[in-house]
Amino acid sequence: MIQASGLYHTYGNGVAAVEVLHGLDLRIDHGEFVAVMGPSGCGKTTLLHLLGLITQPTRASSLRLDGRETVGLPDAARTRLRSRKIGLVFQRFNLLPVISAVENVRLALRLRGQSLDGAAEAMLDLVGLAAERKRKPGQLSIGQQQRVAIARAMAVQPKLLLADEPTGNLDSENAEGIMDLLTRCHQQFGQTVVVVTHNPAVAQRAERILTMRDGRICDC
Amino acid sequence: MAWLPLANVMHRKVRSGLSVLAVGIGIAMLIVMLALTHGTLNEVARRMESVDAELLILPRQDNVIFTAGAPFSEKYVRLIADSEVDGQECVRSVIPVMFDQIRMGGQQQRLFGVDPEQLTIFLGNRRLAAGRVFDAGLGFKRLLAERAGRRQRYDPSTITEEEVQAACELVIDTRLARVGQYAVGDTIMSLGREFRIVGIVEAGAAGRVFTSIQLLRHLKNAGVPWSSMFFVKLQDPSVAEAAADVIAARTKARVELKSDYGRVLFQSFEQIYLYINIASGVALVVCFLIILLTMYTMVVERTHAIGILRALGASRFMILRGTLGESLLICICGTILGIILAYSAKLGIEWAKPLLTVAIEPRWVLLALAIGIVGGTLSALYPGWRAARLDPGLALTLD
Repeated sequence: MIQASGLYHTYGNGVAAVEVLHGLDLRIDHGEFVAVMGPSGCGKTTLLHLLGLITQPTRASSLRLDGRETVGLPDAARTRLRSRKIGLVFQRFNLLPVISAVENVRLALRLRGQSLDGAAEAMLDLVGLAAERKRKPGQLSIGQQQRVAIARAMAVQPKLLLADEPTGNLDSENAEGIMDLLTRCHQQFGQTVVVVTHNPAVAQRAERILTMRDGRICDC
Repeated sequence: MAWLPLANVMHRKVRSGLSVLAVGIGIAMLIVMLALTHGTLNEVARRMESVDAELLILPRQDNVIFTAGAPFSEKYVRLIADSEVDGQECVRSVIPVMFDQIRMGGQQQRLFGVDPEQLTIFLGNRRLAAGRVFDAGLGFKRLLAERAGRRQRYDPSTITEEEVQAACELVIDTRLARVGQYAVGDTIMSLGREFRIVGIVEAGAAGRVFTSIQLLRHLKNAGVPWSSMFFVKLQDPSVAEAAADVIAARTKARVELKSDYGRVLFQSFEQIYLYINIASGVALVVCFLIILLTMYTMVVERTHAIGILRALGASRFMILRGTLGESLLICICGTILGIILAYSAKLGIEWAKPLLTVAIEPRWVLLALAIGIVGGTLSALYPGWRAARLDPGLALTLD
């Protein structure tokens, strides 16, 4: 599913430049559930953004996604690929505050050009929020907001689900629920799941754990 | 995605409302300025064009509306009357007018001094709603002719104050009568005399206030028969242009086709129109700068949300379209509000100043809509471009 070699990424320019990834190599197969762990600042989120085609690597030999080379792709093609193949779940949920839960889920479907046909409602039902679908994010608990974010990511049935600290803002009970949900989605839909986490209990749910240190995968 | 701009607008109700109001005021100002200037001038032009004549002879000066005094001596009547086109006499009658000012209905009115025997040329088929015409029995006109005897001029000192006072009569139109609540028999002080309203004629005649030209000449020119302008009725209206050229050459005056009066009138106001257009344009630019600032602030404030949209797969074009949609929504609502405000202002102006004509024409409304749409689009282009260029990875890290 993912094949990356020689990934470099630098923030800033000149003397202020900070290289976060130093020639990272990575391979994740179809249908794998992988956890990425590592200390703060080691480049986990940057890696996730690169895998999600949100950010371009400063330099890379190759970053293949579902067999397609993404290095050097123009923005429009990367955007298309992102909307068709990738679902994203963020630590801070990143729901649009001006629209309701169900509209947030529909938004992902619309951006992908998929018909609605009750898909958003079905997804919210799956994550246990059917009754709250008309509420705006600000009217939901943080656990519920993360469920909506997962429903949004899963609604488009992406081949690759990327989750950045999905339980980082949740208490242990909610975190457990979210991980149950991710595991269930992975089993039900067979997607490749990559979860970035600090939490060893969360990482234990994955089939494989990758540890990052100083901008590289150090223990595969 | 089409509903997202609406959701964004509704999310910030006060800011959106203020932006709509800013556009609305600018649009209303534009419509009212145009409707007021064009409406008033059109109304004046229509009234002048209702005179049963083909040509107007004016002093050779730039502005027809401010024609005043009496620059044409009696010799001009002969010069005009004797004009020929292709060897044929072309003038049927020369109709002199002398202008003055009179304060009625809360503002200065142009007082038309015309010969009582020629008043029907100005009134056309408009009927007297009340009273009679001035100098109805031609008493004052005949009195002056008698005093002149065989001489060409009468001696003004031979006319008694009582005789003058008896001739101080006015005919006004129904619009002025309604505004000033005048009735037949009311008196108005002007030129040191007490003028009586003796008749009220249906509105639409060339002037709102008429009096005897002989009386005006007596009061202003010691009876010397000079005129402010002439209307000319031709034997054959089809030779109007040729006759105008001939008369212009003979008199060195400005000769205009009556049908061109509207154009001439508007030309006389070119400078004022320029000023009004600049003022309206500046107001609109300020309004749209407010929209630009609003949209720019929105983009900065919503950087994170734009990052989310981009991360979810929204293309740059979608982001630009969303920003344009939001701006257009504000501007179209603002334009509709502006049109409503303009109609409200029309009612207000016509109530406060009933003699002004505020004519909101469909083309001004269409122009306002076009300006709203174009302005809304242009105002959102730069903020939209900025939003579309945002790096989604960076945008997601910002709050």
